[in-house]
Amino acid sequence: MKNIEFSDKNATSLYDKYIRDVKEIIRILSKEDQNDILMEINSHIYESMQRNITDSEIDRIVETLDKLGNPRDSLSALIADRKLFQATKTFCPTHVVKALSLNISNGFIYVIFCILYLFLFGFIFLIFVKILYPHNTGLFIGEDEAHFGFIANITDNTSLEILGDWFIPVNIVVMVFTYLLITLLLKLKYKLRRKN
Amino acid sequence: MPEFIHNYLDELCSKFNRILWRNFVYICKMNNDFIEKWKSQVKKGVLTFIVLNLLKHREMYGYELIEHVSKTISIDIAEGTLYPLLNKLKTEGLVASKWVEQISGIPRKYYSLTNIGEYVLSKMKESWEQLTDSIKGISK
Repeated sequence: MKNIEFSDKNATSLYDKYIRDVKEIIRILSKEDQNDILMEINSHIYESMQRNITDSEIDRIVETLDKLGNPRDSLSALIADRKLFQATKTFCPTHVVKALSLNISNGFIYVIFCILYLFLFGFIFLIFVKILYPHNTGLFIGEDEAHFGFIANITDNTSLEILGDWFIPVNIVVMVFTYLLITLLLKLKYKLRRKN
Repeated sequence: MPEFIHNYLDELCSKFNRILWRNFVYICKMNNDFIEKWKSQVKKGVLTFIVLNLLKHREMYGYELIEHVSKTISIDIAEGTLYPLLNKLKTEGLVASKWVEQISGIPRKYYSLTNIGEYVLSKMKESWEQLTDSIKGISK
């Protein structure tokens, strides 16, 4: 991106600060999106500076940036949208987590997604627990109760663990299933949102 | 009439008048606020319709579009809100964009209406006309 040149020092520092803020806020997007947004904002500032040329440079830059608004407010919708789009295109978990955190304020449904995600991490955690405490972890089926996970105190009355070494592969399968479910639901949600 | 009663009534009347006046000002101001709020809501609501209509005639870059929108409906939209809207229209496939190099070295991003955009716009126009007709019908 080519920077705009100002003759006024204060105008330059205001401009630099704004661009720095924008860069900071859009850092979580893909390089391509970052560049696109930055160039468009830069172009907007440049075009705006070409108007009312009789006013002083500092007046014009102040008015331009003021009208554009605080980048944190004006860009939040754009960032949430692009991040969600990116997340539904890839299956990369970090994109999904970031998209969820950005959209959490956009509706109750995202809270459900987050809970599903917690479950996912729960399953991963249980695999390690099974390796460390093989006897305390598993699927315990009793006469009238069932437990899936970790039991601290194993007594004679504890229900029987039925999965044994199969616990880890079963966990992996459940994990993959949960993950696919989350991503598919997210895609569906995104499609519905676009329809609205 | 004794003077103290006269004074008392005088004071009462001026108090009453002040209250009346204050209420009058308050009601006017409130109505005005209400109308202004409503106007800006309506304008925001039809922003997409206006943007698509402007792009129907020719392609424009963001800043130019903002200028035209402000001129058309005399509304100072927070400029930051137009870009998210354009982004949304782009992901919906209603508009396309391309970067065009400028002599200044700072390129402009031009937006244009796609075929889908034209179709959607024609549908929007139909329902807009229906809506205004029905409103005319009930507000006679």
